[in-house]
Amino acid sequence: MNGHDESAEMQQRRAVLKRVAWMLGGAISAPAALAILQGCSAKEPVPGAVIATKFFKGKQADIVSAIADVLIPKTDTSGALDAGVPAFIDSIMADVYPKDAQERFSAGIDAFETAAGAGGKTFLDQEVPQRAATVQKAIDAALAGEHKDKPFILVARELTLLGFYTSRVGITENMEYVPVPTVYHGCVPLSEMKKHVYWE
Amino acid sequence: MEQNSFDAIVVGSGMSGGWAAKELTEKGLKTLVLERGRMVRHPDYPTATKDPWELPYGNRITQETRQRKPVQTRTGYPTPANQHWFVDDLDNPYVEEKPFDWLRGYHVGGRSLMWARQSYRFGPLDFEANAKEGVGIPWPVTYDEIAPWYDKVEIFAGISGSTEGLYQLPDGKFLPPHDLNCVEVDFKKRLDEKLGRKLIIGRCANLTAPLTHNESPQRGTCQARNLCIRGCPFGGYFSSVSSTLPSAERTGNMTLLPNQIVYELIYDNDKGKATGVRVLDAETGKQTEYFAKIVFLCASALGSAYVMLNSTSSRFPNGFGNDSGELGHNIMDHNKPGNSNASVEGYLDVAYTGRRPNGFYIPRYRNVGKDKRDYLRGFGYQGRAARSNYNRFNDTPLMGAELKQAALEPGSWTIGMTAFGEILPNHENHARLDRDKKDKHGLPLLVVNAVVRENERKMEQDMKNDAAEMLEAAGYKNVTVKSDSYNVGNSIHESGTARMGSDPKKSVLNKFNQVHACKNVFVTDGSFMPSFGCQNPSLTYMAFTARAADHAVNELKKGNL
Repeated sequence: MNGHDESAEMQQRRAVLKRVAWMLGGAISAPAALAILQGCSAKEPVPGAVIATKFFKGKQADIVSAIADVLIPKTDTSGALDAGVPAFIDSIMADVYPKDAQERFSAGIDAFETAAGAGGKTFLDQEVPQRAATVQKAIDAALAGEHKDKPFILVARELTLLGFYTSRVGITENMEYVPVPTVYHGCVPLSEMKKHVYWE
Repeated sequence: MEQNSFDAIVVGSGMSGGWAAKELTEKGLKTLVLERGRMVRHPDYPTATKDPWELPYGNRITQETRQRKPVQTRTGYPTPANQHWFVDDLDNPYVEEKPFDWLRGYHVGGRSLMWARQSYRFGPLDFEANAKEGVGIPWPVTYDEIAPWYDKVEIFAGISGSTEGLYQLPDGKFLPPHDLNCVEVDFKKRLDEKLGRKLIIGRCANLTAPLTHNESPQRGTCQARNLCIRGCPFGGYFSSVSSTLPSAERTGNMTLLPNQIVYELIYDNDKGKATGVRVLDAETGKQTEYFAKIVFLCASALGSAYVMLNSTSSRFPNGFGNDSGELGHNIMDHNKPGNSNASVEGYLDVAYTGRRPNGFYIPRYRNVGKDKRDYLRGFGYQGRAARSNYNRFNDTPLMGAELKQAALEPGSWTIGMTAFGEILPNHENHARLDRDKKDKHGLPLLVVNAVVRENERKMEQDMKNDAAEMLEAAGYKNVTVKSDSYNVGNSIHESGTARMGSDPKKSVLNKFNQVHACKNVFVTDGSFMPSFGCQNPSLTYMAFTARAADHAVNELKKGNL
């Protein structure tokens, strides 16, 4: 489906919903409206790949991808790469973060690769279990120290979590996402819930 | 001239303008509604049904938005989900002589689309305070006079809440209340036992049940999505776009024109009346005049004050109806000096389902009954308890499969609340025009100068200490009380610029929101407030607007306007 068709289709759906809403008012059922509105959803990010980068230079995309992959690996459910986290970090860095934070993050990526390689294999040359150990060591060290600015590895983890748990796979595979809950129940035993309910 | 003439002109299409449009058209007046921003029609809200993953950047504010909207974004509001509802600050400048957060949207519906929907009556305590304490000027209206109008607007809008019998926060005509969640019920019980303070569910303009009337067939019940700020295609909450404007439209008496910037009232010296308004087309710059028997200014406290300050004549050299010298003065808001948080142990086997567009409310208790403090008035708290999300891992060493597994469980409970404190009217807190500075339309800029003063500063101590006291009394842990710098305007409740009163020498409007010196002009947005309580004000604007429209039509019929 190309962009033009998608937009026309969405317009048509909105028009249908509008008609239904006006006709039925309070009687419109949530599932009916939902079926109309959910027919078309956003494009899925390409797993793991950063094709045209806005922020990353050289090997930076590979380094951040490798970090995200060990922070939230693919298990029996999708991981950070399936959710498109590297592309997410590339775009949020380029468009959301101010210049000084961008420079710190960029320098942080490069320093991470160099430090990880000191006296042995560079980070990207390491096998996945070794990469995980390298990242864990960096997180532990960052949490132990006091810092004026949030250390690179903690920013990388924060953005990996944000990118993953706002992605389609991150939400739908790990939470009970109900777009139109219809009603709020204030006190429900967890035993009656399928899994962690999406509350954001 | 003929085609530009109407019975009534309403300036602004938000909370107050929508009500003026509905009441005037339903009473048979051919009414022109002029909105300075673009058209919005129910249920066309561009982001309303987007899933979280359809919003870019994890819904964080981009640098580009910060650059275009430096004032709006400094408060954290305009995210990719709702930034289209907030003005471009570069195109809409004003002068901050003191820091002032002027958060607003220029579109049909105004801030009634983005409001937090909290709906509380002002009570006798609020209407009597100025007179009893000798502050500002007395209210010219009593609670008993306005109470039936509160009934009317609550029933039409659909306000949910619990009946509590509190003198300082009168009950209304409520739809069923939202649930408090398990921890909030616990907090309520402990506050009552330990401190004798009351916690209630917020009263909000979300339909927890069908409306009790058949006037709004386009509205359905609240679907517990908590995405209200984007606009609700279900009509689950009250906005002028979902509620009052459709009613006005159905009468066949409304003409609604977007992109029309009203910049001046036309005054006829011989008749001693306003005859209409002068308008600039926001897109083409074309100037037009529209004429009517009555004019309702509903353009917001600063917007309406702007139009009046910019309407000078030999009769009104200092601004329209400004014989008192109070026009633009006495700006109020709600003081919000920081929020308080704590972590709650236990309750790990319970949670909630659905997303509640509401929180709890701790009504004012200071200077109520026997309580006496070294400051005047009081404050209320709005807050909620919730289970924490994946952000809780940011301070832990967790990663990998272990993190994914841990994230399948909801986090522990946290509770947070924010105090909203009454600000006293003060003549020095004011807005005026700077005619040497112009916007892109060539119109003079508004200058705003308002700060919190001694009474508010004293009250802040209680707002912070009491929050800590309550959270600690409840046995919660890691209690933190933040001190945020607060700019007037940040509660988005700016008001008071054309206060009502009995004495024309001290007030701009009379008790029916009529300009003392020009009875066919009514001002019914937040401008009219002589004092401000600590309650969210929109419900009060609705009630006074409906009452003013009723009075206007009666006076028109009697030939008095």
